[in-house]
Amino acid sequence: MVVIYVLDVAEFHPVVESARKLPNCTVEKSHGDYFRIESPSEIVLNRREMKLKPAVWYGIFTGGLNGEIAEWGRDEVRVIPTNKPL
Amino acid sequence: MSDPKESSLHDKARSETAFNKPDYWVGDADVTSLKRAGADGIQLRLDGVDHTARPTWKLRETIEFYRDILGLPLVHTISARGWGQVNHPDFLHFFFDAGKGALIAFFYYIGTDRPEKYEPEDHWFFNSNHTAWAVDSREELDRWKETLEARGLHVSPHIRHEILESIYFTDPNGYPLEISLRLRDIEPLDGRDAELTLEAAMQLEDELRKNGDRLHDIDTVWRRKGKLVQDLIDGGA
Repeated sequence: MVVIYVLDVAEFHPVVESARKLPNCTVEKSHGDYFRIESPSEIVLNRREMKLKPAVWYGIFTGGLNGEIAEWGRDEVRVIPTNKPL
Repeated sequence: MSDPKESSLHDKARSETAFNKPDYWVGDADVTSLKRAGADGIQLRLDGVDHTARPTWKLRETIEFYRDILGLPLVHTISARGWGQVNHPDFLHFFFDAGKGALIAFFYYIGTDRPEKYEPEDHWFFNSNHTAWAVDSREELDRWKETLEARGLHVSPHIRHEILESIYFTDPNGYPLEISLRLRDIEPLDGRDAELTLEAAMQLEDELRKNGDRLHDIDTVWRRKGKLVQDLIDGGA
C-alpha cells in the first residue's frame, strides 16, 4: 500500500486531481486539512501533467508519505509500497 | 584595526554600556533550560520589521546601489566614534526605507578590511541569509524585474514557490535580495501543517541522535509526517 497525504491548499490541488484519474487510487478528504490518496500498489505522478512549478514539485510529499520513492526525476516520480518504518 | 594612539584616545571615552557586556550573547544558550512562553501567560507582541543590518566594506557602491539604483530613500545615518567598546572602529550606520516602516541598514567600519570569512560565496549556506521584500501585485513584481534589468542588473527569472513568487538579485556586497509576491493568504491550516512537518523532523533527529546518527534525507521526514497525519485522521481530529 502507498499513501500520500496532501494539504488542502491551492498549490497542491493538482496532485489530488491527478490522483483521482489514476486507476486503483482512492482519494478521500479524510481530515479537515488533508486529502488522503491510497493505492494498493505504486503511484506515479507527472509534473508536467499537473503543471507544477519545480519549486513546488520538489516538495510534493511535504504533506506526508507512506511509501518509498523508487524513481525521482524532474518530471516524474514513482512511489512504491515499503516496510520502512514511519 | 585602528592604530595604538587612536585606540588609547578611544579608550578614554570608553563607557560601560550594554554593548560592553557580552552577558546577553547567548549563541550557545541551553534552550531546554529556558522558560516557555506558555508558562508565564505573557503574550509578547511584535509589529513587523524595524530593520535588518549587515556590514559593508563598499561605502559608495552600497549607497549608490540602494539609494540611486533601487531608489530606496536614505532615511537615517549614524556616524560615531565606536560604541564605547575597546578597539571598536569608528563607523557609519545608514538606513534605507523598504516600505511599511521596514528599513535595511548597513555598517561601514572605517579603516577596516573585510575578513575573508565575510566574503560572499555562491553557495546556499551563504545565500540563505537574505532579505526578501514584498510587492503587492503581479504588475509591480514584473515592473521590478523589467526596470532593474533595464538599469543593467542581472535578475533571476520568476520562481514560483508554494505561497510566494519571487525574483532574485544581489547587491554590490554579494548579499542576496529577493522581491516577493504573496500568492495567497496564509491560513490556519498552513500553521498546523508546519507544526506537523517540523514535529516529524524533530522527533526523528532526537531518535537518531541517541544512536549517534543524524537525519540523512527528507523522505524519512515525509514518512514520519505521514504517520502523524494518519494519527490525526484516525483520531478524528
